[in-house]
Amino acid sequence: MDKRVGAPDSEQLAPAPARALLLGTGLATLLVLLVVFYYPVWTVFENAVLRDGYGVFSALTDPLAAVTPDVLLGVLSDPFFLGAAHTLFEAPLRVPGGAAAWAVEFLATARPALAARPPFVVLVHDAGTVDFGLFGFTAYQAVLSTVLSVLLGLPGAWVLARFEFPGRRTLKSLTILPFVLPSIMVVAGFVATFGQFGTVNNVLAWLGLGRVQMLYTLEIVLVAHAFYNAPLVTRMVGTAWENVNANAVETARSLGAGRLRSFTDVVLPQLVPALAASALLTFVFTFMTFPIVLGLGGLRLATVEVWLYASVNQLDYETAAALGTLETAFSLFFMYVYLRYESRRASSGTGKPLSRERLLSAGSLRDWLTRGGVGAYGVVVLVVFVLPLASMVLASVGGLSDPTLEWWRMLVERQAGSRTQPSVAVRNSLLFGLGALALALPMGVVVAAFSTRGGRLRKLGDTVLMAPIAVSGVVVGFGLLQGLVFGVEIGPYRVSVVGPAVVVMAHAVAGYPFVVRNVAPMLERIDSRLVEAARSLGANRARALWDIELPLVWPGVVAGAAFAFAISIGEFDSTVILAGENAYTMPVALKRFLVDKTAGPSIGPAAAMGTVLLVVTALSFVVIDYVGGRYRP
Amino acid sequence: MKRRTYLKSGGAAAIAGLAGCLNVTESNDATTADDTTADTTTGTTREPDEPLTVATYDSFFGDEGTAGHWLKRAWEAEHDTTIEFTAPANGINEFISRKKQNAGIDADLFVGLNTGELVRVDEELPDARLFDTVADDLSHASRIKDSLQIDPRRRALPYDTGYISLVYDSTDIAEPQTFDDLTKPAYEGALLAENAQTSDPGRAFLLWTIHEMGEDGYLDYWQDLVANDVRILDDWQPAYNAYLNNERPMVVSYSTDQVYYHDEGQLPHHQIGFLNDQGYANPEAMARFADTNQPETAAAFMDFVLTDEAQANIAVNNVQFPATTTADLPDEYDQYAKEPPEPVTFTYEELAGNLDGWINEWARQIASS
Repeated sequence: MDKRVGAPDSEQLAPAPARALLLGTGLATLLVLLVVFYYPVWTVFENAVLRDGYGVFSALTDPLAAVTPDVLLGVLSDPFFLGAAHTLFEAPLRVPGGAAAWAVEFLATARPALAARPPFVVLVHDAGTVDFGLFGFTAYQAVLSTVLSVLLGLPGAWVLARFEFPGRRTLKSLTILPFVLPSIMVVAGFVATFGQFGTVNNVLAWLGLGRVQMLYTLEIVLVAHAFYNAPLVTRMVGTAWENVNANAVETARSLGAGRLRSFTDVVLPQLVPALAASALLTFVFTFMTFPIVLGLGGLRLATVEVWLYASVNQLDYETAAALGTLETAFSLFFMYVYLRYESRRASSGTGKPLSRERLLSAGSLRDWLTRGGVGAYGVVVLVVFVLPLASMVLASVGGLSDPTLEWWRMLVERQAGSRTQPSVAVRNSLLFGLGALALALPMGVVVAAFSTRGGRLRKLGDTVLMAPIAVSGVVVGFGLLQGLVFGVEIGPYRVSVVGPAVVVMAHAVAGYPFVVRNVAPMLERIDSRLVEAARSLGANRARALWDIELPLVWPGVVAGAAFAFAISIGEFDSTVILAGENAYTMPVALKRFLVDKTAGPSIGPAAAMGTVLLVVTALSFVVIDYVGGRYRP
Repeated sequence: MKRRTYLKSGGAAAIAGLAGCLNVTESNDATTADDTTADTTTGTTREPDEPLTVATYDSFFGDEGTAGHWLKRAWEAEHDTTIEFTAPANGINEFISRKKQNAGIDADLFVGLNTGELVRVDEELPDARLFDTVADDLSHASRIKDSLQIDPRRRALPYDTGYISLVYDSTDIAEPQTFDDLTKPAYEGALLAENAQTSDPGRAFLLWTIHEMGEDGYLDYWQDLVANDVRILDDWQPAYNAYLNNERPMVVSYSTDQVYYHDEGQLPHHQIGFLNDQGYANPEAMARFADTNQPETAAAFMDFVLTDEAQANIAVNNVQFPATTTADLPDEYDQYAKEPPEPVTFTYEELAGNLDGWINEWARQIASS
């Protein structure tokens, strides 16, 4: 399969079909996006911007009459949503006065607190008392979550990139695992780990330190957000670190730069873009957070998404649409910033990576100190990542105090012809995951190929194509229900989409931006002369993509594949709506077992299903990484 | 869905075959028209083998030991029609939206409707008929307890009820006797409740406090609860899970809790607390979709649900109380399922026009405190 430029067989492929293939894939991508994403999401947003009775077409012909700012303005000028900032929209002329009042209020609360307590504690507790409104609070917790995720994720990137130890590669592929875990299970794991009588508190009590109330605080919500997002930081920064060219570092060292100097001058600049990109993604994700906040913090820590979900539940579509529109505009802005950052990630080659130190052998005192640091970090990782998962697995066997195999027996019984059979859930999940992968990979690669071709409005176009990341799951799920499951009237017919195929499409749409984001930057870094050489030797654009570019960006494709698969496995909101009664996946089965009346009020059956999900997906990621790492097209 | 007028014309079939996921129907399908009368003669058009589709919630059916499983087996032993259950992710909201968009109702009856949901149905669909009146045709409908009737128009018929109460750990705290007790220092940081926007027991508890404190007083009362550190999680599962993890000694739950926990060792940890000697009744009802094409079978099934044998089995399997006066519960179950001395609830008329406003005000207050 390892074809070279100008190899005889490259001329046998006629240019026209290959070109048509590329174009066709591009058009198919657009069509899928239109059907499973843009149209459904639009059906939600139109409630916020269009007057009653106006549809897409009437809005296009006469936008002045159709579009109304009323609903959006209603939300924007409500102090509940915007806090002190609502005056910006309610009475723009009074803003300077309003801003001054806000600043005075903030200083009045924060200053005495600063004298008494460390800044971080003040930031978490006392800044929260200022009237932020729902949007302000949501952004505020997202900033704190991002900071914590970066702090927790960075050392991981360093360890994975700079040290060699048994199981490093497996560990690296497992960093994506938290991504797929259903929040209901993570909440249960966190309660069991950080609760009043959870593992951590039991250890503290045993050490004679006393119990600490951790649940229902903003802090525990932040830690849970870090659980989901720190691995993302680790993964993205770690990959950038591995791609740092060792020659540049060696040159710097030979020119007299010390370890620190060569790090800050050569390595760091190459990590910053990946760091900024992962931080922005974390910010967008945690801005749209919802089940974690409700499950670990409660309604008092409500975010915009919590309100959006409640509005949908009460069929208050106007509020839901307005919140969704504002939230999406906000996230899209950050996606745009992210893409600008990403384009600066160019420069470095993948030539010669830095050599890794062996973690398990140490010579000097300095080495020992470093190992000590890694060990301490390992303990933190154990507490934040491993304990909650271990708690879930433990819950599936009834816990330490009351061990039982009842729930596993129940899973086996369910296998024998019940509404929800575990093996069917596993099979569906894997099939949908593979299907989504098969769709998302070409979609992502083609979009990446188009997006690196340049043009003035490219970043804007990219942002629009990245929208599936920036639109909240509630909006997408709701739009899919209204737009696809209920169907649209085309002439005298009502056409609705149901069944596994549309689930796969929806998963692919949610996953393909990650393929693009992993592939596009690497594609951009390829020396354009290589492609030009191939083209001058007779290869068409599609051929050059397949033979030259794809092998060079393969690590990005593998990383994107892992993400696309992970999204598909973990997706719940739209799956449960689209798949109907029989095409259930592992998370849907887990949810059904959670409310299984025959088991009583126990999380045991769901924990057992969660353990199955954990094992199946962990194996899948190791396989993706193992196969993908060796295979070259 | 396939049983509706399914176009077999070449083009449509080709599209459906191609994607395997497209469903094409005539959009002026008579069954989706709003003005269809409950004309029982439409029953003649149905295919005899067609199953009766019952829309409900997840935990109602499934395996051995659920109410739905028992109903299906018992019904199918005596009738030719099979029962097919389905649990739409958004419950009754899905059918309201479908009706609004003229998208066709692909179920014959709905099981698991509470008063607030029925109010929402009527408020969202003032001109359309989602359900039709069926009570007059049923021989067992007169057995339903008057106190549980939720529908003045007799479309929705209650089939069971639960009582919202407190469940508390008597080894940790004393039983709270009144609502005011909950705001006292003895119960500071003790109570776990659920979000009334998204959870059934959470909404019932909020309504109970409104019933007690009045429309003008409930927000102040909740302010006191918040000051006393009440915790409001999103649903019953996480709240109850936190309770089981000893996170807090008291949780808003159901008065049937001891059905699960009646071992000698567990009983002290699972005591039922009836505030003011009350419990908030949350009747569950069933109703027939006006668009069904087998109205007779649907009515016969509803009548079957109200028989004494079905009532006892639903109550035990669904861990609730029967809705009829004549059903007999097994002694063992009767002993552990506790009924409040004074059941209270809001009627349809009391909730109409108020419910969403009450919940919204409440949620805004909690979220901004």
